[in-house]
Amino acid sequence: MRTFTFLGPNSASLSVNMDSSTTMANGVIVPTWNFEDANGNGFNEDRFAPSPVIECVEGQQVNVTLTSMRAHSIHFHGLDVDQDNDGVGSTSGYVAQSPTGGNLGRVDGYTNLGSPFTYTFVAPHAGTYMYHCHIDTVLHIEQGMYGTVIVRPPNGSINEAWTGGPTFEREHIWHLHTFDSTWHSEDISSATTNRYRPDYFMLNGSDGANAITDTTCAIEADAGTNVLVRVNNVGYQPALVELGGISFQIIASDGRPLPSALNVTQMLIAAGERYDILFTIPIGFDGLATISYKDIRNRNTLGTVQTKIKDTSDLIFTNGFE
Amino acid sequence: MKNNINKNSEFSVTRRNILKAGVASSALFSLAGLTVFSPRANAATVIYNFVAETYTKTLVDGSTTIDAWRFRDTDGNTGPGDLLASIIAQEGDTIIINLTNNLDTDIKFDIPGVLEGQPSLSTGSSTTFNFNAPSAGSYLFRENIVEEYSQALGLMGPMVIMPNNGTQSLYAGGPTFDQQYTLLINDFDDRMNADVASGVSYNLDNFEPNYYFVNGLSYPDTSTDPDTKVSMLLGEDVAIRFINGGLLTHSMHFHGYHVRVVSRNRIPETDIIDKDTVVINPGECVDIILPVVQVGKFPLHTHYIPAVTFNGAYVNPVGGALLILEAS
Ligand SMILES: [Cu+2]
Ligand SMILES: [Cu+2]
Repeated sequence: MRTFTFLGPNSASLSVNMDSSTTMANGVIVPTWNFEDANGNGFNEDRFAPSPVIECVEGQQVNVTLTSMRAHSIHFHGLDVDQDNDGVGSTSGYVAQSPTGGNLGRVDGYTNLGSPFTYTFVAPHAGTYMYHCHIDTVLHIEQGMYGTVIVRPPNGSINEAWTGGPTFEREHIWHLHTFDSTWHSEDISSATTNRYRPDYFMLNGSDGANAITDTTCAIEADAGTNVLVRVNNVGYQPALVELGGISFQIIASDGRPLPSALNVTQMLIAAGERYDILFTIPIGFDGLATISYKDIRNRNTLGTVQTKIKDTSDLIFTNGFE
Repeated sequence: MKNNINKNSEFSVTRRNILKAGVASSALFSLAGLTVFSPRANAATVIYNFVAETYTKTLVDGSTTIDAWRFRDTDGNTGPGDLLASIIAQEGDTIIINLTNNLDTDIKFDIPGVLEGQPSLSTGSSTTFNFNAPSAGSYLFRENIVEEYSQALGLMGPMVIMPNNGTQSLYAGGPTFDQQYTLLINDFDDRMNADVASGVSYNLDNFEPNYYFVNGLSYPDTSTDPDTKVSMLLGEDVAIRFINGGLLTHSMHFHGYHVRVVSRNRIPETDIIDKDTVVINPGECVDIILPVVQVGKFPLHTHYIPAVTFNGAYVNPVGGALLILEAS
């Protein structure tokens, strides 16, 4: 069971919203940019950033169309697409280009603004991937121009991680990300992308008290439910992932199965990495998963975000005697 | 095997001194960067003459200068990239390093896992280290009298030890490769360099870099330097030795390819092998194999994207820890 909306399979049309925002738990509204679907939605109907989920099927051709009035692109991170579809301004060039100058003047270029560009590729091995803008990347990623690509196994199954891989009943995506709110100025020409100092620490665009109960983040299911979480570090900070003491299996990373699953209670994930983790809701469990965002230099915790993991069944622990 | 063109070809026969008779005369070192190495049948004694010194580095924009520290090989051996001191030998060799300290501070030479706990070397004096080549793999040499203080100023370099079984492989019995690159990553905080140059010490707690380098170069110099731009042929297995000489956790993302993580600090990786984004912790040496499965030009960069910038400016025209893989 998915806990998110998605585009596809195998095709998506995206445009760019540069007037979106994220309301933080403290009430501050941080301006964002995001890819959006035809209905103006980001990751879910109730939010802009992260950007929508794209699903595709291993071995099948995928078409993703980008329409933008400003210079942007889509890089399919980890999907190992060919150069023409790689979405990097300097090597691919197939992006909606900006006119020279203007307040996006750090991007050289010419115009194709408003003309749709379609990226095509064959979906690789089933697993978890990322997409993001690769124009003035340091700024555009920070604004929220990132999302998840899920590749399903060739049979299209939505409860099997890959052909012959582990199965699951419930599926979450956790986008790990932060904001340095000083980089989200209304006047982007003055944004200074130097010395990144995040001040909001998020899961799927929620922070603080919002994240604890956010339905895309929180995992509330009956004891015994097998849960797959696709952990996607779309931000810039390394992070430590803990499930409130629940031991979990790391089954895949970067769209490839591990040679054998690792059993752990915590996991480090760096910027750009993905890990697919699997666990079973323990009987009677009611606790908090914690993501601790680490300083890139000394690994001190800069901030955390938490979300609920809860057994919703009425099963209770017994010692065998009633 | 495909060779790089050596921008420093005049040094190709004087890269290092080989003492054993009959060895130095053969074409041991071809016209390429640090990591082209022809296996020898016999062990040799390899001698390096290094100084530790200050210098003024001109950054990739051609105008910004920064005062930094470095090791320099006084025999003129260079590479990879802008680095002026590097070590390459094979298992069984004896390595001799004659080191002179031309800094105005005491230093302590250190090769984690090989040469640790050495006495400090006072300013103006010289010493000799004589040791057996360790097991095959990638190493970082550095100065570490005060934690990573000198690394933050650039005082480090790469050491590559090849197996002595006559193969182009990462270790005896390990993966073979068609060619290899060594990519040393580091970062400068210009405020620290400025303070140190004016005689003021800098608190590493305040270290927040704004310039980022691969082999001492920033983008786009990384994409023209033959030691650093990764030029590949379809079907090759290319070894890349990442050495993080800096202080930040980098996760190096490959466009176009998944790679195989072979070892971390010479310990074979068995858990998490197939990656498009490879974490390189500070001080860590990570050897990977890239199977060249498609042609094209693809970026390789840290996904700590702030480190792809040049003082915050993204790539156009100059950047940071970003280079181009080109497969034909
Ligand atoms: Cu963009
Ligand atoms: Cu990416």
